[in-house]
Amino acid sequence: MSIPSLSDYKDVVGRDVVGELYTLASHVGNRSVTMVNSTAVGGGVAEMLHRVVPLLNELGIETRWEVIKGGADFFDVTKAFHNALQGKEEYFEQEVFKTYLAYNEMNYQEMSFDEDLVVIHDPQPAALIKWQKKRKNKWVWRCHIDMSHPNQQVWDFLRPYVELYDAAIFSSPLFSPQLKIPQYRFYPAIDPLADKNRELDGDYIDSVLEKYEIPRDKPIVTQISRYDPWKDPVGVIQAFKMARRHADCRLLMVGDKAADDPEAEEILAQVNEAAGDDPDIKIIFLTRSIPTEINAFQRASDIVLQKSIREGFALTVSEALWKYRPVIGGAVGGIPAQIIHGYTGMLVHSVEGASLQIRSLLQQPELAKKLGENW
Amino acid sequence: MRVFQFCSSASLEKLTGRKAHNLDELLDLVKTCSTSSIFYHTFSAFRKLREVQTPYTNDFAVWIARDLNEEALAEKLLAIDLAEYNTIESLRSRILEILEGYRSENPSSFERTAAEPFYLYSLVRFVYLTDKFAYNLSSFRQLLDTISTDSVYYHFIESRLQTQLQTDDFSNWMEENPDYQELAEKIRKIDMNIHTLEELRVRIGETVDQYL
Repeated sequence: MSIPSLSDYKDVVGRDVVGELYTLASHVGNRSVTMVNSTAVGGGVAEMLHRVVPLLNELGIETRWEVIKGGADFFDVTKAFHNALQGKEEYFEQEVFKTYLAYNEMNYQEMSFDEDLVVIHDPQPAALIKWQKKRKNKWVWRCHIDMSHPNQQVWDFLRPYVELYDAAIFSSPLFSPQLKIPQYRFYPAIDPLADKNRELDGDYIDSVLEKYEIPRDKPIVTQISRYDPWKDPVGVIQAFKMARRHADCRLLMVGDKAADDPEAEEILAQVNEAAGDDPDIKIIFLTRSIPTEINAFQRASDIVLQKSIREGFALTVSEALWKYRPVIGGAVGGIPAQIIHGYTGMLVHSVEGASLQIRSLLQQPELAKKLGENW
Repeated sequence: MRVFQFCSSASLEKLTGRKAHNLDELLDLVKTCSTSSIFYHTFSAFRKLREVQTPYTNDFAVWIARDLNEEALAEKLLAIDLAEYNTIESLRSRILEILEGYRSENPSSFERTAAEPFYLYSLVRFVYLTDKFAYNLSSFRQLLDTISTDSVYYHFIESRLQTQLQTDDFSNWMEENPDYQELAEKIRKIDMNIHTLEELRVRIGETVDQYL
């Protein structure tokens, strides 16, 4: 499928919205933008930038996207920082901070930051600003992760760099720390016309399930997420096993590997152990996921889970809602911004709560259908 | 009749870092916050809440009902009709009057801590002109079907804060023509608290059709 252009979104966004975007863009004038993040593939940030950058360019706002480089030691550090900022208790030696800064400095030296607006995504490249002296342009730090309970040592280290920015953007006020700079809330978004979300025909969906040997003899409950402790994949298996005592179903877990995530294999091993040899649990680990297949998994699901225990936003919730699926989500981070409990989905706080809602929705298909349609 | 140029508005939500854990703290926030914050939690919230057709019309009522279970107070705040307010200060005074009245009758309610705090936002607003011009009622009617819901919202709801008039932009413009006095009156009577923005567009269109 060809890459959609702005005019293709007219039917999705409603009357004259695209025209007004051009009007708004004209006020930006000839200012330019650079986006910087840590991976070109995998995860929500890369996925959004793949679409946002071309759309901004189509609006006439010259926009570049750069990805920082790093060795395995850098990404081990940044993943540990990511976990710490989401609340994991851990003490870091000074060497760890030196590694982080050394890679940020190396990337700074290899990159240029001449655009009028520089948007740095997430903690991995947050310290790039340290080496930018006497800047004439504006720098914004866009934080996508759940910072509601940050590890104080890591946050104390990062905060001075964040406060060098002109502004910071968070997905929820829950994540907004005390800072000396202005802060804004901005929700991420899915691309409804991308392969991951566009309409699919039934034959294709059947063929994907056949390819991965997923029978459709029972309702399918699905979680699609990185294998990451904050997505609670082991809790998903526990909830599924409890629910299945009352409602026969299958569990489908699908995750891919992001270039900046060295932890996935370890968590996957825990997931496999929790699943055991249960024939109703299908675990799929993709080195690189195919968007239309993810789309097919979601459309084939009777219930979509996102049982996170920390969460920046969870685009998977919006993806499932877009496909009229009933969603059960952890009541954390950006998920309550997408699910109004009992109206557009169900929010849960525990394994037991997730199990109860799986049972409840499988045994009340009319309620499940209504939740899916209410978004 | 003067030419009517359609406008629209966009906004950026600013996190103020201020929050309330109970009704006493909320009262203090409402007293001391910027007009932009009052606007955000009333007019701007109304725009979003109408789209999903919840019974709520402002963020204060949502928080009070959901996180404090003070349904009676939430109902009083829900009953505020934004159409009656053409300045943020008069709206702020009304909210304070309701909160203070409730406190005098239910002092213990003001000490209870909410499950989740109320987060105070403010708004950076950007109102811009579109390239759509209505030269008469007929061209207005044609364009009404093509403008964005943001533009419907701006002219029918938000603009009363700009004009300081207790009326919407559309009926204000129509009223300039002596032949459309009755039409303007009918447009003013369309209840913005009941309909989604798309429904408002349909109602306005159907009403205008009666005069073409």
